Amino acid sequence: MIDSNQEAAPTSAPAATTTKSHLPGQLPGQTLSPQQRKRRPILQIKKLTKQFEAFTAVDSVDLTLYEGEIFALLGSSGCGKSTLLRMLAGFETPTSGSILLDGEELIGVPPYKRPVNMMFQSYALFPYMTVKQNIAFGLKQERLPRAEIEERVQKMLRLVHMEDYTERRPFQLSGGQRQRVALARSLAKEPRVLLLDEPMGALDKKLRERMRLELVDIINSVGVTCLMVTHDQEEAMTMADRIAIMDRGEFIQIGGPRELYENPNCRFSAEFIGSVNIFDCTLKSSNKTQSLIQAADFPNDIELAHDIDLADGMPLTIALRPEKIYISKERPQESTNWCEGTVDNIAYLGDISIYYVTLPNKRIVSSTLPNVDRFKVGLPTWDDHVFLSWDPESCIALTF
Amino acid sequence: MTTTLIGPNLSFIRRAFLRNKDRSRLRRERRARRQLRENTWRDYAVLSIPYLWMLLFFLLPFLIIFKISLSVTEIAIPPYSPLVTFEEGAMQIILHLENYTSIFYDEDWTYLRSYLKSVEVAGFATLFCLLIGYPIAWALSTCRSTWRNVFFMLVIMPSWTSFVVRIYAWMTILKKNGLINDVLIAMGIIDEPIQLLQTDFAVYIGIVYCYLPYMVLPLFSALMKVDYTLVEAASDLGCRPIRNFFTTLVPQTKNGIVAGAMLVFIPAMGEYVIPELLGGKGSILIGRILWQEFFNNRDWPLASAVSITMLAILVIPIIWFYKIQRREEKA
Amino acid sequence: MQESKRSAAIARWVILGITLTFLYLPILTLMVYSFNESKMVTVWTEFSLKWYAALFSDSAIIRALGISLTIAVLSSAAAVVIGTLAAFALVRIRSFPGESAFVLFMTAPMVLPEVVTGLALLLLFVTLGDLIPIFGDRGMLTIWIAHVTFCSAYTTVVIRSRLVELDVSIEEAAMDLGAGPIKVFFAVILPAIMPAEVAAALLSFTMSMDDLVITSFIAGPDSTTLPMLIFSSVRRGLSPEINALATIIIMVAAIGTFCAWLSMTRRQRRREADERKANQEKMAELALSHARNH
Repeated sequence: MIDSNQEAAPTSAPAATTTKSHLPGQLPGQTLSPQQRKRRPILQIKKLTKQFEAFTAVDSVDLTLYEGEIFALLGSSGCGKSTLLRMLAGFETPTSGSILLDGEELIGVPPYKRPVNMMFQSYALFPYMTVKQNIAFGLKQERLPRAEIEERVQKMLRLVHMEDYTERRPFQLSGGQRQRVALARSLAKEPRVLLLDEPMGALDKKLRERMRLELVDIINSVGVTCLMVTHDQEEAMTMADRIAIMDRGEFIQIGGPRELYENPNCRFSAEFIGSVNIFDCTLKSSNKTQSLIQAADFPNDIELAHDIDLADGMPLTIALRPEKIYISKERPQESTNWCEGTVDNIAYLGDISIYYVTLPNKRIVSSTLPNVDRFKVGLPTWDDHVFLSWDPESCIALTF
Repeated sequence: MTTTLIGPNLSFIRRAFLRNKDRSRLRRERRARRQLRENTWRDYAVLSIPYLWMLLFFLLPFLIIFKISLSVTEIAIPPYSPLVTFEEGAMQIILHLENYTSIFYDEDWTYLRSYLKSVEVAGFATLFCLLIGYPIAWALSTCRSTWRNVFFMLVIMPSWTSFVVRIYAWMTILKKNGLINDVLIAMGIIDEPIQLLQTDFAVYIGIVYCYLPYMVLPLFSALMKVDYTLVEAASDLGCRPIRNFFTTLVPQTKNGIVAGAMLVFIPAMGEYVIPELLGGKGSILIGRILWQEFFNNRDWPLASAVSITMLAILVIPIIWFYKIQRREEKA
Repeated sequence: MQESKRSAAIARWVILGITLTFLYLPILTLMVYSFNESKMVTVWTEFSLKWYAALFSDSAIIRALGISLTIAVLSSAAAVVIGTLAAFALVRIRSFPGESAFVLFMTAPMVLPEVVTGLALLLLFVTLGDLIPIFGDRGMLTIWIAHVTFCSAYTTVVIRSRLVELDVSIEEAAMDLGAGPIKVFFAVILPAIMPAEVAAALLSFTMSMDDLVITSFIAGPDSTTLPMLIFSSVRRGLSPEINALATIIIMVAAIGTFCAWLSMTRRQRRREADERKANQEKMAELALSHARNH
């Protein structure tokens, strides 16, 4: 669906068009640094398809991974992300397509001969082996000299801070420690690509946040290219350089975390990451500097500061993130980009409050408000008549 | 039958003892992986050894037994008539049905009566085992875990000793001047020894004694999995204890009950050693008939027909047991 | 509630008490009378070890014991191999022709009446004996085959129940780290299912040692096993020598059971210790991440 190669190397110059900074691929902080652009592709997946009888798990997927990046496949369960990962590791045979690692075809190579290693969701540590034996297992298969194995195992142990636990068995370790041992084991063979299958899946919620950053630190310090699979968007956003949103065996969108959030290319992406208010609209008029859009749910127009490549009168969708909607009891001055309603419900989450506002036509719109002030008075409360407004740049116009 | 119908139970027991939230997940994953696999020549190589072994030494014997049941006895080696003969270039296939007709149209109904007797003895023995085994399994399953291990081992231990030895032990106890008669006389309940050995009572004792563990084990593992909050909920809603037992406990342990009953009933049907050693002249169970036809009368075709008929009777319970086994594996 | 719990506890002890009496009384009387001087099995005269002495000088018994042990060791070894292969196939191979028939073959020997199995196997050997002479003379080989056949059913169930609970990704991890299929089996799977292999071997050993009916059908005149010998002498009447032999068998079984119990509790204790350690680590880890968050 999407050619990832274009994503990685944007063609237009970013600096000149600051005014249109919200256009796809041109977000500040999102464009690739020159250093990144010089990176050479390491793994190329072309038209990869996997069918299980009548069911297509992975549908003609193209993907290029660049040296040293962390790439996340994000999708709900059954979207084909794990199958894709398992095809790379060699546990599934693709129906068609090719996987090139450093230009060499991987398909047909058995898993035990591929220069990629995987960290399993359950970590899959060998239960009757010590930490040290676990890490040494892969090196022993290569029949390296004993001294070298010892040296590399020590290096790995230092890398993951497990030097004091060499003789422990996996059952005697905590979840986080098991994860680090699993990581060390899969890094010990110095794989060309490291595959991570739901790396935080087996961890306690409280630990995840810390382990995410720690894992990224370790991976970056080794400099290994990394492909991870996750269903947790927060995990993908914090850990990955680039993310592919997957659904029903296809890539929906590929991009950096910020791009995916701020510039979803379709309704599915917008709804998949974060929460969003979706409005069905029709385009009234559009020129170079201004587009006017009629929403079905409220009388005022939506105004955008750029043109939309669509004929007048055509339907489109406007997506608005709740945190980009201002809520106030006073009527805005402008004639566009606002609507009114009554507060239906307030969810107090501590750091923020979510307001659920009912528009006159019963449509509910959510808006979040950071709780900056402990005892602030004058905030809208239940059944208040309120006005919701937003900046023109906040609207995401979606034609899919 | 020997000591050890413990085999199928071991899998039940493992599950009962090592309950763990991961296990069902691991089994599920394993099954899912299996569904997605493509078989390789290596898989078939692994499979072929047990497969061929079982075809050769388990399926083939039953085909042969069926074949021989259709011939008649002859004074020859082997002592039965050939099914297929070549005479003057003509191939003759002679299927004798005499053995089956003699089983069903016997003058004094020896065979039919002993089949009925076997069903009766095996059925009642199964019932006794269930009535005795259920409380034992309940007591074991609700024990504290350290005690549970100890008692569990104590209940199993006798079945690791020799089967014949256990029957022999009862022979010494049930004898005319054995322990039971001695105690009863000493207590003044009876004046002179009563006949205990060589009665149906002794046969029942023997079967219950030897087969009890096979009833207790599946019940035990079923009871370990029981959700007792259901029992509490029923009693909270006003259900009386006996009613409660039948509405909450029995349905939850149904698989254990059926598995246990099959493990006792099927082998008890063909039991030879217990009626031979403990039973009287009257307890001519079908296992004994088969043995006699084979060893004493050397009528191999008739013995084959008797065992084919026995198999026909046992097909339903065996399939039932097999279904339960498979369901347990999938659960 | 307290009241019903108390009565449940009392009921539990009463039931277990009666059960154990029922199970052990016959065995204990048997053992006591093995030390009896008198030839009358049921009349106690005085303590004596003479029946044990008689037992150990009885060459028929020693010979039968030798035969039984040989067959038991060999057939449990073979049954474990076949059971492992069968379990492995059943757990991994997606589907193959005759799968449910195969599973039925692997279940049926556990429940079929032994007279039927025994007769069937005998007739097989007689028929095969015409074609292949080694099956013709019935003896250790044919007994071994019969024992392997019914023991395999048990070993398959035992090993399979362990194998299905083995984490699939452990195999995949080993393969991912460069171990080929055979290496994966010996380096990763086999150590992980070792307890089940041992249990299966012990189970087959006792079953083979104890089998009477099937063996009686198949055994030739020179291959009398221990259970056959006991059976024929019991049929002739009670004898204190059999009491002595029975006592020894029971003691061996008791020691075996005790060892099994010991290893079971030891394993459980080790697991608990592991869990405690893991828990400690987890607590330390949580405390650390708590400290870092603030």
